[in-house]
Amino acid sequence: MSAPSRGGAAPRIWAIALNTFREAVRNRVLYVLALFAVGLMAFSLVLGELSLHEEVRVMKDLGLAGISLVSVVIALFLGVNLLSKELDRKTVYFVVPKPLQRWEFLLGKYFGQVFTLVILVGSMAVILALFVGLSGGVHGVAMVRAEVLVVVELMLLTAVAMLFSSFSSPYLSAMFTAALWIIGRNQAELATFATGKKLEGTGLGAILEFVSAVIPDFHAFFISGGQVGGEVVSVHETFIGWGYVAEASLYGLLYASVCLGVAMLLFARRDLV
Amino acid sequence: MAVLHVSELRKTFTRGLLRRRTEALRGISLEVEPGEIFGFLGPNGAGKTTTIKILMGLIFPTSGTAHLLGAPAGDRAAKARVGYLPENPYFYDYLSVPELLDMVGRLHGQAKAPRRKRSVELIERVGLGHAGNRPLRSFSKGMMQRVGLAQALMGEPELVVLDEPMSGLDPVGRKEVRDLVFELRDRGTTVFFCTHILADATALCDRVAILVKGKLRGVGSLDELLDPRLRSVDLVWQAPSDTVEGLLRFEGQHREAAAGRLLTVDDLDRADAFVRELMAAKGRLLQLQPHRESLESLFVSEAARDEEPADDEAPKEQEASA
Repeated sequence: MSAPSRGGAAPRIWAIALNTFREAVRNRVLYVLALFAVGLMAFSLVLGELSLHEEVRVMKDLGLAGISLVSVVIALFLGVNLLSKELDRKTVYFVVPKPLQRWEFLLGKYFGQVFTLVILVGSMAVILALFVGLSGGVHGVAMVRAEVLVVVELMLLTAVAMLFSSFSSPYLSAMFTAALWIIGRNQAELATFATGKKLEGTGLGAILEFVSAVIPDFHAFFISGGQVGGEVVSVHETFIGWGYVAEASLYGLLYASVCLGVAMLLFARRDLV
Repeated sequence: MAVLHVSELRKTFTRGLLRRRTEALRGISLEVEPGEIFGFLGPNGAGKTTTIKILMGLIFPTSGTAHLLGAPAGDRAAKARVGYLPENPYFYDYLSVPELLDMVGRLHGQAKAPRRKRSVELIERVGLGHAGNRPLRSFSKGMMQRVGLAQALMGEPELVVLDEPMSGLDPVGRKEVRDLVFELRDRGTTVFFCTHILADATALCDRVAILVKGKLRGVGSLDELLDPRLRSVDLVWQAPSDTVEGLLRFEGQHREAAAGRLLTVDDLDRADAFVRELMAAKGRLLQLQPHRESLESLFVSEAARDEEPADDEAPKEQEASA
């Protein structure tokens, strides 16, 4: 009767991932690219008028910040809606009864969003490289490293958003995820504050120190203009090497795996009403 | 071995801050045998969709067990052999029918060529050949119901679970679905379906279950559930005006009817007696209709029965299986 089922979980996860990517494309999420390109073009024209021989430097800084901010907002928006939209639109009643495990469904949704974000960041990076090239500059490998770190940050952020949305509403999930991202981006400052003179040895200091140790360190993925090992690094001068990128990626992916694992456990026993 | 086996299934929902408890299912047990068309009937809020959601692994029972094709409900191996049409189906509306069926085929682990072949066959079979590559968001409710049937059959299931399959379909569509259900049964597929349309249940089902307020009120074939005894006989008659008054004195309930006069009597003996009088009065019998208990009357009486059956009261399921 039934056709024989091929392969393991991978084809089923791929089917869900492909559908998630298709949804993002058909819902015109990638139109953000056009907006980014137009914004960058307008901005480079203004910069050309205002700055003296620093157009490329400013364009790189603002372009990288733009890629990071735009993609973080999109990752947050898409991430918290990944599961809730399925429930709100009742498509979950169609897909969960199909022969796949709930964790496969969750992982497929995750990979679909990550694939969308990789395409988005990659395309924005190409647009930025074109503008930098047209302005007489070179995009350079330092920028590529910075952009790889942005992708890893998005993978972690999506996993955090999925964790929250596996048990709470999209509004609460968005608030929790955004708060965690803001604190995570300022993790170093939080750690310094917790171990500073005022709080050292106090209960609040210990709590803040614990929080700074366990929250995801989003600052590790956006470090141009910041300090690494006591030295200021920038995409224009001395920047981190591939070793740092690998280390930060390992940290980000491990953290994301833990978040996804917990999300899978919570989602596995949830009543889909 | 039963294709579907449910034992003492209970489900209690807790809602809101006050954790209000609602008992949706209160210990139901039933079995569906291979190759039968089984109707799951009940008024709104009876617990039909809750039962189906448990069977499909969407929610978990508070207690009791549910098995499909020998595997626990929600098990991937069982789901691979089951096709499911949800009530008011919602699909990814940005996809076209071929894209949706391709996704379902992938989830069933079908290779590219067979899933494409199956998809083309099913699109024709449910009458959606004209839809082409239009996105589902442009489909009417009836068309969505056909999409739902196609996706439920994509995995060549051994058991098909249909939640209100006739919903939104016009008379032609309903007939097509009935034909499809019979075709599935003829090919050995078991069909379990929920419906509010009792005419469909009467026409289609080998057996039915009636669920009211989370409890089963009866399981069995229509012959087993329905009282075969005659309830009443309706006679529609005409007679010359000078004899009408005498005939209206005959014992029974007399009413005006569109084509004459209507008499309702308790049994066929009384009907025979009246016909003899009518013939003697040179009248004409236009229609004679004996009434037995219908599924509708059983359904209405069970739905209206407010009091709970006592613990020792044997449900009709046991009577039927005895």
